[in-house]
Amino acid sequence: MTKWGRRAATFRDLVAEAGKATFDSNPNIKPANVKSFIISTVYPERSAYQGHPAPLAAEWCGVRPEEFHCRVENQCGSGTTAIRTAYAAIKAGLTDMVMIVGAEKILIPSHQEVFLNAMAGCDREWESCFGVTPPPLFAMVAQAHMKSYGTTEEQLALVSVKNHDHSRHNPFAHHQKGATLDQVMSSRPIATPLKLFDCSTNTDGAAGVIVAKEDLARDLCDKPIYILGTAQINQGYPWANYHKDWSSWPALKTAGEKAYSMAGIAPEDVDLAEVHDCFTISEIMEYEELGFCPKGEGGPFVENRLSDYGGRVVVNPSGGLIACGHPFGATGIRQAYEAFVQLRGEAGARQVPGARIALTHNLSGLGEHHILIYGRD
Amino acid sequence: MKELEDAANYIVSPDVYSLDPVPLQTPDQNRIYPFYDNLKQNRLTTTKCADCGHIAWPPRIVCPKCMSDRLDWVDFPETGQIYAFTVQTAATPPGFNPPVVYALIDFDNGLRIISPIVDCDPAQVEAGAQVVLKVVPAPRDRVLFFFRLK
Repeated sequence: MTKWGRRAATFRDLVAEAGKATFDSNPNIKPANVKSFIISTVYPERSAYQGHPAPLAAEWCGVRPEEFHCRVENQCGSGTTAIRTAYAAIKAGLTDMVMIVGAEKILIPSHQEVFLNAMAGCDREWESCFGVTPPPLFAMVAQAHMKSYGTTEEQLALVSVKNHDHSRHNPFAHHQKGATLDQVMSSRPIATPLKLFDCSTNTDGAAGVIVAKEDLARDLCDKPIYILGTAQINQGYPWANYHKDWSSWPALKTAGEKAYSMAGIAPEDVDLAEVHDCFTISEIMEYEELGFCPKGEGGPFVENRLSDYGGRVVVNPSGGLIACGHPFGATGIRQAYEAFVQLRGEAGARQVPGARIALTHNLSGLGEHHILIYGRD
Repeated sequence: MKELEDAANYIVSPDVYSLDPVPLQTPDQNRIYPFYDNLKQNRLTTTKCADCGHIAWPPRIVCPKCMSDRLDWVDFPETGQIYAFTVQTAATPPGFNPPVVYALIDFDNGLRIISPIVDCDPAQVEAGAQVVLKVVPAPRDRVLFFFRLK
Protein backbone atom coordinates (compact mmCIF):
# COMPACT_ATOMS: atom_id res chain seq x y z
CA MET A 1 0.00 0.00 0.00
CA THR A 2 1.00 3.61 -0.54
CA LYS A 3 -0.32 6.32 1.70
CA TRP A 4 -3.72 7.31 0.29
CA GLY A 5 -4.90 10.90 0.23
CA ARG A 6 -4.15 14.21 -1.45
CA ARG A 7 -0.72 13.18 -2.62
CA ALA A 8 2.12 15.40 -3.88
CA ALA A 9 2.91 12.66 -6.41
CA THR A 10 2.32 11.81 -10.05
CA PHE A 11 0.64 8.70 -11.44
CA ARG A 12 4.00 7.04 -11.97
CA ASP A 13 5.25 8.05 -8.51
CA LEU A 14 2.24 6.22 -7.07
CA VAL A 15 2.98 3.13 -9.21
CA ALA A 16 6.63 3.08 -8.09
CA GLU A 17 5.68 3.47 -4.42
CA ALA A 18 3.21 0.57 -4.65
CA GLY A 19 5.79 -1.56 -6.46
CA LYS A 20 8.36 -0.97 -3.72
CA ALA A 21 5.81 -1.63 -0.95
CA THR A 22 4.83 -4.90 -2.62
CA PHE A 23 8.40 -6.15 -2.95
CA ASP A 24 9.31 -4.92 0.55
CA SER A 25 6.45 -7.02 1.95
CA ASN A 26 8.04 -10.25 0.72
CA PRO A 27 11.85 -10.53 0.54
CA ASN A 28 11.56 -13.83 -1.37
CA ILE A 29 10.22 -12.09 -4.47
CA LYS A 30 12.44 -9.75 -6.51
CA PRO A 31 11.51 -7.79 -9.63
CA ALA A 32 13.63 -10.14 -11.75
CA ASN A 33 11.46 -13.11 -10.62
CA VAL A 34 8.29 -11.47 -11.86
CA LYS A 35 7.37 -12.60 -15.35
CA SER A 36 3.80 -11.31 -15.44
CA PHE A 37 2.38 -7.90 -14.59
CA ILE A 38 -1.03 -6.21 -14.60
CA ILE A 39 -1.74 -2.54 -14.05
CA SER A 40 -5.27 -1.75 -12.90
CA THR A 41 -6.08 1.85 -13.71
CA VAL A 42 -9.12 3.67 -15.07
CA TYR A 43 -8.21 6.97 -16.64
CA PRO A 44 -4.51 7.80 -16.77
CA GLU A 45 -5.35 9.13 -20.25
CA ARG A 46 -7.29 11.89 -18.48
CA SER A 47 -5.43 12.49 -15.25
CA ALA A 48 -1.86 11.91 -16.43
CA TYR A 49 -2.30 12.15 -20.25
CA GLN A 50 -0.83 8.67 -20.39
CA GLY A 51 -2.23 5.74 -22.32
CA HIS A 52 -0.54 2.31 -22.71
CA PRO A 53 0.24 2.15 -18.99
CA ALA A 54 1.11 -1.55 -18.59
CA PRO A 55 4.71 -1.55 -19.89
CA LEU A 56 5.34 1.84 -18.31
CA ALA A 57 4.10 0.73 -14.91
CA ALA A 58 6.04 -2.55 -15.14
CA GLU A 59 9.22 -0.61 -15.87
CA TRP A 60 8.60 1.67 -12.87
CA CYS A 61 8.34 -1.43 -10.70
CA GLY A 62 11.56 -2.86 -12.15
CA VAL A 63 9.67 -5.63 -13.94
CA ARG A 64 10.25 -6.86 -17.52
CA PRO A 65 7.31 -9.23 -18.05
CA GLU A 66 7.95 -12.11 -20.46
CA GLU A 67 4.87 -14.28 -19.90
CA PHE A 68 1.80 -12.10 -19.44
CA HIS A 69 1.12 -8.38 -19.14
CA CYS A 70 -1.81 -6.06 -19.69
CA ARG A 71 -3.77 -3.16 -18.35
CA VAL A 72 -7.17 -3.95 -16.82
CA GLU A 73 -9.93 -1.36 -16.79
CA ASN A 74 -13.45 -1.91 -15.53
CA GLN A 75 -14.09 1.50 -13.95
CA CYS A 76 -14.49 1.21 -10.16
CA GLY A 77 -14.31 -2.59 -10.36
CA SER A 78 -10.93 -2.63 -12.11
CA GLY A 79 -8.96 -3.94 -9.14
CA THR A 80 -11.08 -7.01 -8.52
CA THR A 81 -11.25 -7.61 -12.27
CA ALA A 82 -7.44 -7.46 -12.41
CA ILE A 83 -7.10 -10.12 -9.69
CA ARG A 84 -9.62 -12.30 -11.55
CA THR A 85 -7.60 -11.79 -14.74
CA ALA A 86 -4.40 -12.91 -12.97
CA TYR A 87 -6.27 -15.90 -11.53
CA ALA A 88 -7.52 -16.84 -15.00
CA ALA A 89 -4.05 -16.49 -16.55
CA ILE A 90 -2.55 -18.75 -13.88
CA LYS A 91 -5.38 -21.29 -14.19
CA ALA A 92 -4.90 -21.29 -17.96
CA GLY A 93 -1.22 -22.15 -17.50
CA LEU A 94 0.09 -19.01 -19.18
CA THR A 95 2.12 -18.08 -16.12
CA ASP A 96 2.70 -19.14 -12.49
CA MET A 97 2.73 -15.75 -10.79
CA VAL A 98 1.39 -12.27 -11.55
CA MET A 99 2.19 -8.97 -9.90
CA ILE A 100 -0.74 -6.55 -9.92
CA VAL A 101 -0.51 -2.85 -9.20
CA GLY A 102 -3.63 -0.71 -8.95
CA ALA A 103 -3.04 3.03 -9.21
CA GLU A 104 -5.07 6.15 -9.83
CA LYS A 105 -4.22 9.82 -9.85
CA ILE A 106 -7.52 11.60 -9.14
CA LEU A 107 -6.60 14.98 -7.66
CA ILE A 108 -5.25 17.04 -10.52
CA PRO A 109 -4.79 20.82 -10.25
CA SER A 110 -8.25 21.75 -11.57
CA HIS A 111 -10.91 20.55 -9.15
CA GLN A 112 -13.61 20.91 -11.82
CA GLU A 113 -11.71 18.53 -14.07
CA VAL A 114 -12.07 15.78 -11.45
CA PHE A 115 -15.82 15.81 -12.13
CA LEU A 116 -15.29 16.15 -15.88
CA ASN A 117 -13.18 12.98 -15.67
CA ALA A 118 -15.89 11.20 -13.69
CA MET A 119 -18.24 11.73 -16.65
CA ALA A 120 -16.04 9.48 -18.79
CA GLY A 121 -16.97 6.51 -16.60
CA CYS A 122 -20.69 6.66 -17.37
CA ASP A 123 -22.23 6.49 -20.88
CA ARG A 124 -20.87 9.76 -22.20
CA GLU A 125 -23.12 10.11 -25.26
CA TRP A 126 -26.43 9.17 -23.59
CA GLU A 127 -26.07 10.09 -19.90
CA SER A 128 -22.84 11.88 -18.98
CA CYS A 129 -23.48 14.58 -21.57
CA PHE A 130 -26.19 15.79 -19.18
CA GLY A 131 -23.64 16.10 -16.39
CA VAL A 132 -24.68 12.78 -14.86
CA THR A 133 -21.98 11.37 -12.55
CA PRO A 134 -22.21 8.78 -9.75
CA PRO A 135 -23.45 11.06 -6.90
CA PRO A 136 -26.91 11.76 -8.41
CA LEU A 137 -27.24 8.14 -9.55
CA PHE A 138 -26.59 6.69 -6.10
CA ALA A 139 -28.73 9.44 -4.59
CA MET A 140 -31.63 8.01 -6.62
CA VAL A 141 -30.81 4.52 -5.31
CA ALA A 142 -31.11 5.99 -1.81
CA GLN A 143 -34.43 7.66 -2.72
CA ALA A 144 -35.78 4.35 -4.02
CA HIS A 145 -34.57 2.40 -0.97
CA MET A 146 -35.97 4.93 1.49
CA LYS A 147 -39.32 4.77 -0.28
CA SER A 148 -39.48 0.95 -0.46
CA TYR A 149 -38.06 0.09 2.97
CA GLY A 150 -38.26 3.20 5.13
CA THR A 151 -34.46 3.51 5.36
CA THR A 152 -33.54 6.79 7.06
CA GLU A 153 -30.86 9.41 6.43
CA GLU A 154 -29.54 8.65 9.90
CA GLN A 155 -29.09 4.97 9.02
CA LEU A 156 -27.14 6.03 5.92
CA ALA A 157 -25.01 8.30 8.11
CA LEU A 158 -24.25 5.46 10.53
CA VAL A 159 -22.41 3.61 7.73
CA SER A 160 -20.11 6.62 7.42
CA VAL A 161 -19.65 6.90 11.19
CA LYS A 162 -18.69 3.21 11.38
CA ASN A 163 -16.25 3.36 8.47
CA HIS A 164 -14.61 6.57 9.70
CA ASP A 165 -14.30 4.89 13.10
CA HIS A 166 -12.56 1.86 11.55
CA SER A 167 -10.08 3.94 9.55
CA ARG A 168 -8.72 5.54 12.73
CA HIS A 169 -6.58 2.41 12.92
CA ASN A 170 -5.61 2.28 9.24
CA PRO A 171 -2.37 4.21 8.62
CA PHE A 172 -2.94 4.15 4.83
CA ALA A 173 -6.43 5.70 4.93
CA HIS A 174 -7.13 9.18 3.60
CA HIS A 175 -9.22 10.00 6.69
CA GLN A 176 -8.09 8.80 10.12
CA LYS A 177 -9.83 11.17 12.52
CA GLY A 178 -13.22 9.49 12.86
CA ALA A 179 -16.56 11.28 12.39
CA THR A 180 -19.56 11.74 14.67
CA LEU A 181 -23.17 11.21 13.63
CA ASP A 182 -23.71 14.94 13.98
CA GLN A 183 -20.72 15.71 11.72
CA VAL A 184 -22.05 13.36 9.02
CA MET A 185 -25.66 14.56 9.27
CA SER A 186 -24.67 18.22 9.15
CA SER A 187 -22.12 17.86 6.34
CA ARG A 188 -22.68 19.72 3.07
CA PRO A 189 -25.55 18.40 0.89
CA ILE A 190 -24.30 16.87 -2.39
CA ALA A 191 -27.34 15.22 -4.04
CA THR A 192 -30.44 14.67 -1.90
CA PRO A 193 -30.39 12.72 0.39
CA LEU A 194 -26.61 12.21 0.16
CA LYS A 195 -24.28 14.56 2.01
CA LEU A 196 -20.54 14.99 1.75
CA PHE A 197 -19.81 12.33 4.38
CA ASP A 198 -22.14 9.86 2.61
CA CYS A 199 -19.72 9.90 -0.34
CA SER A 200 -16.37 8.22 -0.88
CA THR A 201 -13.51 10.65 -1.29
CA ASN A 202 -11.57 11.81 -4.31
CA THR A 203 -8.18 10.37 -3.40
CA ASP A 204 -4.81 9.54 -4.95
CA GLY A 205 -3.39 6.13 -4.17
CA ALA A 206 -1.96 2.82 -5.26
CA ALA A 207 -1.64 -0.71 -3.95
CA GLY A 208 0.01 -3.94 -5.06
CA VAL A 209 -0.61 -7.64 -4.67
CA ILE A 210 1.00 -10.83 -5.97
CA VAL A 211 -1.08 -13.80 -7.10
CA ALA A 212 0.66 -17.15 -7.58
CA LYS A 213 -0.07 -20.81 -8.22
CA GLU A 214 -0.84 -22.64 -4.99
CA ASP A 215 2.40 -24.64 -4.63
CA LEU A 216 4.54 -21.65 -5.59
CA ALA A 217 2.70 -19.41 -3.11
CA ARG A 218 3.49 -21.90 -0.34
CA ASP A 219 7.19 -21.80 -1.27
CA LEU A 220 7.30 -18.01 -1.39
CA CYS A 221 5.54 -17.09 1.84
CA ASP A 222 4.64 -18.43 5.27
CA LYS A 223 1.00 -17.43 5.23
CA PRO A 224 -0.46 -17.68 1.73
CA ILE A 225 -4.08 -16.61 1.31
CA TYR A 226 -6.27 -18.71 -0.97
CA ILE A 227 -8.85 -17.60 -3.53
CA LEU A 228 -11.87 -19.75 -2.65
CA GLY A 229 -14.49 -18.27 -4.93
CA THR A 230 -15.17 -15.49 -7.36
CA ALA A 231 -17.96 -14.17 -9.56
CA GLN A 232 -18.66 -11.31 -11.90
CA ILE A 233 -21.81 -10.03 -13.56
CA ASN A 234 -23.10 -7.21 -15.74
CA GLN A 235 -26.83 -6.77 -16.35
CA GLY A 236 -27.42 -3.88 -18.70
CA TYR A 237 -25.93 -0.50 -19.48
CA PRO A 238 -26.21 2.49 -19.52
CA TRP A 239 -27.69 3.23 -16.11
CA ALA A 240 -31.21 3.71 -17.48
CA ASN A 241 -31.12 0.12 -18.70
CA TYR A 242 -30.48 -1.57 -15.36
CA HIS A 243 -33.43 -3.36 -13.71
CA LYS A 244 -36.39 -1.06 -13.00
CA ASP A 245 -36.54 -1.30 -9.20
CA TRP A 246 -33.53 0.64 -7.93
CA SER A 247 -34.17 -0.38 -4.33
CA SER A 248 -32.82 -3.85 -5.11
CA TRP A 249 -29.71 -5.03 -6.97
CA PRO A 250 -30.61 -8.49 -8.29
CA ALA A 251 -27.31 -8.74 -10.20
CA LEU A 252 -25.33 -8.54 -6.97
CA LYS A 253 -27.55 -11.18 -5.36
CA THR A 254 -26.87 -13.53 -8.29
CA ALA A 255 -23.11 -12.87 -8.29
CA GLY A 256 -22.92 -13.34 -4.52
CA GLU A 257 -24.71 -16.68 -4.69
CA LYS A 258 -22.33 -17.84 -7.43
CA ALA A 259 -19.25 -16.83 -5.45
CA TYR A 260 -20.54 -18.48 -2.25
CA SER A 261 -21.33 -21.64 -4.17
CA MET A 262 -17.84 -21.78 -5.74
CA ALA A 263 -16.27 -21.26 -2.31
CA GLY A 264 -18.59 -23.82 -0.71
CA ILE A 265 -19.63 -21.36 1.99
CA ALA A 266 -22.69 -19.41 3.13
CA PRO A 267 -22.94 -15.68 3.94
CA GLU A 268 -22.81 -16.55 7.68
CA ASP A 269 -19.29 -17.96 7.17
CA VAL A 270 -17.83 -14.59 6.14
CA ASP A 271 -15.81 -13.03 8.97
CA LEU A 272 -15.07 -9.74 7.26
CA ALA A 273 -16.16 -8.07 4.06
CA GLU A 274 -14.53 -5.23 2.21
CA VAL A 275 -17.45 -3.99 0.15
CA HIS A 276 -17.89 -1.13 -2.29
CA ASP A 277 -19.20 1.71 -0.12
CA CYS A 278 -18.80 4.34 -2.84
CA PHE A 279 -21.79 5.89 -1.06
CA THR A 280 -23.38 4.93 2.27
CA ILE A 281 -26.49 3.59 0.51
CA SER A 282 -24.28 1.17 -1.46
CA GLU A 283 -23.07 -0.54 1.69
CA ILE A 284 -26.66 -0.93 2.93
CA MET A 285 -27.67 -2.49 -0.41
CA GLU A 286 -24.65 -4.81 -0.20
CA TYR A 287 -25.56 -6.13 3.28
CA GLU A 288 -28.89 -7.18 1.81
CA GLU A 289 -27.87 -8.54 -1.59
CA LEU A 290 -24.83 -10.41 -0.22
CA GLY A 291 -27.11 -12.13 2.29
CA PHE A 292 -25.73 -10.61 5.50
CA CYS A 293 -29.29 -9.57 6.42
CA PRO A 294 -32.77 -10.00 4.92
CA LYS A 295 -33.79 -7.74 2.00
CA GLY A 296 -34.86 -4.31 3.20
CA GLU A 297 -33.21 -4.59 6.61
CA GLY A 298 -29.85 -3.00 5.76
CA GLY A 299 -30.72 0.17 7.69
CA PRO A 300 -31.50 -1.60 10.97
CA PHE A 301 -28.48 -3.90 10.34
CA VAL A 302 -26.03 -1.00 10.62
CA GLU A 303 -28.10 0.72 13.31
CA ASN A 304 -27.88 -2.41 15.50
CA ARG A 305 -24.09 -2.55 14.92
CA LEU A 306 -24.35 -5.95 13.23
CA SER A 307 -21.81 -4.88 10.55
CA ASP A 308 -19.28 -3.81 13.18
CA TYR A 309 -16.84 -5.59 15.50
CA GLY A 310 -18.85 -7.91 17.72
CA GLY A 311 -21.68 -8.09 15.16
CA ARG A 312 -22.47 -10.70 12.50
CA VAL A 313 -19.76 -9.68 10.00
CA VAL A 314 -17.24 -6.85 10.17
CA VAL A 315 -17.86 -4.75 7.08
CA ASN A 316 -15.06 -2.51 5.87
CA PRO A 317 -12.59 -2.87 8.75
CA SER A 318 -10.20 -0.75 6.65
CA GLY A 319 -12.63 2.18 6.61
CA GLY A 320 -13.82 1.32 3.10
CA LEU A 321 -14.00 3.69 0.17
CA ILE A 322 -15.63 6.32 2.37
CA ALA A 323 -12.69 6.69 4.75
CA CYS A 324 -9.74 5.24 2.78
CA GLY A 325 -10.73 7.19 -0.32
CA HIS A 326 -11.45 5.77 -3.76
CA PRO A 327 -8.67 5.92 -6.39
CA PHE A 328 -10.71 3.81 -8.81
CA GLY A 329 -8.18 1.36 -10.24
CA ALA A 330 -6.50 0.86 -6.86
CA THR A 331 -9.57 0.17 -4.72
CA GLY A 332 -10.00 -3.54 -5.46
CA ILE A 333 -6.29 -4.11 -4.81
CA ARG A 334 -6.54 -2.24 -1.50
CA GLN A 335 -9.48 -4.47 -0.56
CA ALA A 336 -7.31 -7.53 -1.29
CA TYR A 337 -4.55 -6.04 0.87
CA GLU A 338 -7.02 -5.64 3.74
CA ALA A 339 -8.28 -9.21 3.29
CA PHE A 340 -4.68 -10.51 3.32
CA VAL A 341 -3.55 -8.69 6.48
CA GLN A 342 -6.76 -9.62 8.29
CA LEU A 343 -6.57 -13.30 7.35
CA ARG A 344 -2.88 -13.37 8.34
CA GLY A 345 -3.73 -11.84 11.73
CA GLU A 346 -1.52 -8.83 10.99
CA ALA A 347 -4.11 -6.04 11.08
CA GLY A 348 -3.12 -4.65 14.51
CA ALA A 349 -5.75 -2.52 16.25
CA ARG A 350 -8.31 -3.19 13.51
CA GLN A 351 -7.85 -6.98 13.53
CA VAL A 352 -11.07 -8.96 13.16
CA PRO A 353 -10.62 -11.68 15.82
CA GLY A 354 -10.11 -15.16 14.37
CA ALA A 355 -10.73 -14.08 10.77
CA ARG A 356 -10.74 -17.10 8.44
CA ILE A 357 -12.84 -15.99 5.46
CA ALA A 358 -12.93 -12.57 3.79
CA LEU A 359 -15.12 -11.32 0.96
CA THR A 360 -14.26 -8.39 -1.27
CA HIS A 361 -16.74 -6.69 -3.57
CA ASN A 362 -16.37 -4.00 -6.21
CA LEU A 363 -19.11 -2.53 -8.33
CA SER A 364 -18.99 -0.53 -11.55
CA GLY A 365 -22.72 0.17 -11.72
CA LEU A 366 -25.96 -1.05 -10.16
CA GLY A 367 -25.96 -4.16 -12.35
CA GLU A 368 -22.19 -4.67 -12.57
CA HIS A 369 -20.42 -6.45 -9.72
CA HIS A 370 -17.11 -8.22 -9.07
CA ILE A 371 -16.56 -10.50 -6.07
CA LEU A 372 -13.66 -12.47 -4.60
CA ILE A 373 -13.74 -14.73 -1.54
CA TYR A 374 -10.43 -15.39 0.22
CA GLY A 375 -9.62 -18.01 2.86
CA ARG A 376 -6.80 -18.52 5.33
CA ASP A 377 -6.93 -22.30 5.14
CA MET B 1 13.11 29.49 -27.65
CA LYS B 2 10.51 31.05 -29.92
CA GLU B 3 9.79 27.62 -31.36
CA LEU B 4 9.25 26.21 -27.89
CA GLU B 5 6.85 28.98 -27.04
CA ASP B 6 4.97 28.34 -30.26
CA ALA B 7 4.77 24.65 -29.42
CA ALA B 8 3.36 25.45 -25.99
CA ASN B 9 0.82 27.78 -27.53
CA TYR B 10 -0.19 25.08 -29.98
CA ILE B 11 -0.87 22.62 -27.18
CA VAL B 12 -3.30 25.01 -25.47
CA SER B 13 -4.79 26.28 -28.75
CA PRO B 14 -8.58 26.54 -28.74
CA ASP B 15 -8.54 24.38 -31.87
CA VAL B 16 -7.16 21.47 -29.87
CA TYR B 17 -10.02 20.12 -27.83
CA SER B 18 -11.18 16.75 -26.70
CA LEU B 19 -13.74 15.35 -24.33
CA ASP B 20 -16.39 17.82 -25.24
CA PRO B 21 -19.17 15.84 -23.55
CA VAL B 22 -21.84 16.69 -26.12
CA PRO B 23 -22.16 13.93 -28.78
CA LEU B 24 -21.19 14.49 -32.40
CA GLN B 25 -24.52 14.74 -34.22
CA THR B 26 -23.97 15.07 -37.95
CA PRO B 27 -24.06 12.44 -40.75
CA ASP B 28 -20.30 12.78 -41.35
CA GLN B 29 -19.54 11.83 -37.73
CA ASN B 30 -22.29 9.59 -36.39
CA ARG B 31 -24.57 6.97 -37.93
CA ILE B 32 -27.21 7.74 -35.32
CA TYR B 33 -27.60 11.31 -36.63
CA PRO B 34 -31.35 10.98 -37.41
CA PHE B 35 -31.95 10.95 -33.64
CA TYR B 36 -30.53 14.46 -33.46
CA ASP B 37 -32.30 15.61 -36.62
CA ASN B 38 -35.58 14.44 -35.06
CA LEU B 39 -34.68 16.12 -31.79
CA LYS B 40 -34.20 19.42 -33.60
CA GLN B 41 -37.83 18.95 -34.78
CA ASN B 42 -38.83 18.54 -31.12
CA ARG B 43 -39.29 14.77 -31.55
CA LEU B 44 -37.77 12.32 -29.06
CA THR B 45 -37.23 9.08 -30.96
CA THR B 46 -35.43 5.78 -30.82
CA THR B 47 -35.00 2.71 -32.99
CA LYS B 48 -37.41 -0.20 -33.41
CA CYS B 49 -36.23 -3.37 -35.10
CA ALA B 50 -38.08 -4.02 -38.38
CA ASP B 51 -37.44 -7.76 -37.99
CA CYS B 52 -38.13 -8.60 -34.31
CA GLY B 53 -39.94 -5.46 -33.15
CA HIS B 54 -37.57 -4.75 -30.24
CA ILE B 55 -37.51 -1.10 -29.19
CA ALA B 56 -34.05 -0.15 -27.92
CA TRP B 57 -32.67 2.63 -25.77
CA PRO B 58 -30.37 4.29 -26.62
CA PRO B 59 -31.03 4.05 -30.38
CA ARG B 60 -28.89 1.50 -32.22
CA ILE B 61 -27.53 0.76 -35.63
CA VAL B 62 -27.81 -2.98 -34.91
CA CYS B 63 -30.68 -4.59 -32.96
CA PRO B 64 -29.21 -6.02 -29.72
CA LYS B 65 -31.88 -8.78 -29.65
CA CYS B 66 -31.63 -10.23 -33.17
CA MET B 67 -28.61 -8.51 -34.79
CA SER B 68 -30.75 -7.16 -37.62
CA ASP B 69 -29.62 -3.84 -39.04
CA ARG B 70 -33.08 -3.00 -40.42
CA LEU B 71 -34.22 -0.42 -37.88
CA ASP B 72 -37.00 2.18 -37.98
CA TRP B 73 -37.28 5.42 -36.03
CA VAL B 74 -40.23 5.57 -33.62
CA ASP B 75 -41.43 8.38 -31.38
CA PHE B 76 -41.48 8.25 -27.58
CA PRO B 77 -44.82 8.89 -25.86
CA GLU B 78 -45.18 12.62 -25.28
CA THR B 79 -45.31 12.29 -21.50
CA GLY B 80 -43.03 10.46 -19.10
CA GLN B 81 -43.30 9.87 -15.37
CA ILE B 82 -40.62 10.47 -12.73
CA TYR B 83 -39.63 7.22 -10.98
CA ALA B 84 -37.05 8.84 -8.67
CA PHE B 85 -35.14 12.11 -8.60
CA THR B 86 -32.41 13.95 -6.73
CA VAL B 87 -31.43 17.58 -6.37
CA GLN B 88 -27.68 17.89 -6.86
CA THR B 89 -26.27 20.95 -5.14
CA ALA B 90 -22.52 20.27 -5.37
CA ALA B 91 -19.88 18.27 -7.24
CA THR B 92 -21.44 18.89 -10.66
CA PRO B 93 -19.14 18.87 -13.72
CA PRO B 94 -18.12 22.17 -15.31
CA GLY B 95 -20.98 23.77 -17.22
CA PHE B 96 -23.69 22.24 -15.01
CA ASN B 97 -24.34 24.84 -12.38
CA PRO B 98 -26.09 23.58 -9.26
CA PRO B 99 -28.78 23.06 -8.28
CA VAL B 100 -29.53 20.46 -10.96
CA VAL B 101 -32.50 18.09 -10.70
CA TYR B 102 -31.73 14.64 -12.12
CA ALA B 103 -34.53 12.13 -12.63
CA LEU B 104 -35.21 8.61 -13.83
CA ILE B 105 -38.09 9.01 -16.26
CA ASP B 106 -40.30 6.07 -17.25
CA PHE B 107 -42.32 5.92 -20.48
CA ASP B 108 -45.17 3.59 -21.32
CA ASN B 109 -43.15 2.12 -24.20
CA GLY B 110 -41.19 0.36 -21.43
CA LEU B 111 -38.12 2.57 -21.68
CA ARG B 112 -36.41 4.65 -19.02
CA ILE B 113 -34.26 7.74 -19.54
CA ILE B 114 -32.00 9.62 -17.11
CA SER B 115 -32.05 13.36 -17.69
CA PRO B 116 -32.23 16.72 -15.90
CA ILE B 117 -35.59 18.32 -15.12
CA VAL B 118 -35.24 22.01 -16.00
CA ASP B 119 -37.35 25.19 -15.78
CA CYS B 120 -38.61 24.29 -12.32
CA ASP B 121 -38.27 25.08 -8.66
CA PRO B 122 -36.57 21.90 -7.35
CA ALA B 123 -39.06 21.93 -4.45
CA GLN B 124 -41.90 21.34 -6.96
CA VAL B 125 -40.48 18.08 -8.30
CA GLU B 126 -41.87 14.84 -6.94
CA ALA B 127 -41.80 11.14 -7.76
CA GLY B 128 -44.76 10.29 -9.99
CA ALA B 129 -44.85 13.73 -11.63
CA GLN B 130 -45.45 13.93 -15.39
CA VAL B 131 -42.71 15.44 -17.57
CA VAL B 132 -42.36 16.45 -21.23
CA LEU B 133 -39.41 16.96 -23.56
CA LYS B 134 -37.44 20.20 -23.54
CA VAL B 135 -34.83 20.46 -26.30
CA VAL B 136 -31.93 22.74 -25.38
CA PRO B 137 -29.16 24.09 -27.61
CA ALA B 138 -25.56 22.96 -27.11
CA PRO B 139 -22.30 24.40 -28.53
CA ARG B 140 -21.50 24.00 -32.26
CA ASP B 141 -25.11 23.71 -33.49
CA ARG B 142 -25.88 20.67 -31.38
CA VAL B 143 -28.82 19.89 -29.09
CA LEU B 144 -29.46 18.02 -25.85
CA PHE B 145 -32.73 16.63 -24.51
CA PHE B 146 -33.84 17.70 -21.07
CA PHE B 147 -37.33 17.48 -19.56
CA ARG B 148 -39.68 19.86 -17.76
CA LEU B 149 -42.72 19.37 -15.56
CA LYS B 150 -45.92 19.02 -17.59
